[in-house]
Amino acid sequence: MPKIKMKRQDIRMDMTAMCDVAFLLLTFFILTTKFRPNEAVQVDIPSSTAQIPLPEKDILMITVGKVGGEKDDRIFFGVDDQNTRISMLDELATKYNFTVDADMQKRFKLLDQFGVPLDQLPQLLKMSPEDLAKFKQPGLLCNPEAKLMAGQVGSDTAKNQLGELIIMARTLNPNLRIAVKADKSAEYGRIDDVIETLRKTNSNRFNLITSAKGGLGPAPAE
Amino acid sequence: MAEIVTGKKGAPHTDMTPMVDLGFLLITFFMLATTFSKPKTMEIIKPAKDDPKNKDAPKVNKNRVLSILLGERDRVYFYQVAAEDIASGKPLQVDSSDFSVNGVRAVIKTRQNDVLQAYGSKDTLVVLIKGMPKATYKNFVDIIDEMRITGVRQYALVDRDKVDTVIMEQMNLIK
Repeated sequence: MPKIKMKRQDIRMDMTAMCDVAFLLLTFFILTTKFRPNEAVQVDIPSSTAQIPLPEKDILMITVGKVGGEKDDRIFFGVDDQNTRISMLDELATKYNFTVDADMQKRFKLLDQFGVPLDQLPQLLKMSPEDLAKFKQPGLLCNPEAKLMAGQVGSDTAKNQLGELIIMARTLNPNLRIAVKADKSAEYGRIDDVIETLRKTNSNRFNLITSAKGGLGPAPAE
Repeated sequence: MAEIVTGKKGAPHTDMTPMVDLGFLLITFFMLATTFSKPKTMEIIKPAKDDPKNKDAPKVNKNRVLSILLGERDRVYFYQVAAEDIASGKPLQVDSSDFSVNGVRAVIKTRQNDVLQAYGSKDTLVVLIKGMPKATYKNFVDIIDEMRITGVRQYALVDRDKVDTVIMEQMNLIK
């Protein structure tokens, strides 16, 4: 039998174009990615049918959530503008009698949010990043009934340091918009404390942060 | 003279496959790491703190009002009770529901219809939202969202008052 010698065909695809596409997309994703910052408090936000997007900058964020396995809801404070952060630290230093060195200033500038009673702030700023990641912050003192601007006078439960911070930040940067970000399971009592504080500081307009509901959601009536 | 060799030597071929693999691997990583959906917000505007001198706050007919009390374990209680009813010691009618579609939304819609028939416009309905400390933030967002869905124009977040305390006692909500 005659043996038919088949010439083995080598299929070669030109991968160059595909490679180009892959790297083009890669570049796009690298440039658009904003890594989620290491958050001190993990928050699972509820969903709603609200459609208004959150403004990009000038946000004063109040976060309510549980810290690493603890049971109570804790309040955290953060401002996105780094210049405001620096001026806030200066004011806090004068008010609470602590000295700020360059290192502490740098750390505060990069601190997205914090939740410690204000007199413990220097200790927080002296921590190394590793210690800070492990540290369970006790949350801000917030008693809506307390007089604002009490400073260091009185017991911890009779202070509303959240209110103090809000007033300070809004004086330094009047463009700030207030956003409240809270965990789904946060107790309403704690949220009410925050809302009451906002009301006391005359911040009657604020935003609750939610995620969009899957799909279009139920249509609004009529 | 040397001959110019024009023979087909073939362009040097590099196998791009591993490079493409790598490219897509990285794309996958960045796609998963990216948070695309921007958070949405609900704007809330609260009235300024009451002026203690202003004692003559307007009274609203209870037929126009629906009070909603957020309770524990995703329950929601609603009632139409005026302060006088408490004083007269009449048994109070309090119903409870949940956040399903047939739950609180149906209740609001029924009330809207009642008000529409009585007053000629469903926008006359005033919804008062109150929360017990043990209610969750999710319930709170849900109920405000429900206002938008049902198209309630007038709603307010208010503090619990005497009526609520009596109702909570009656419903055994206070331990």
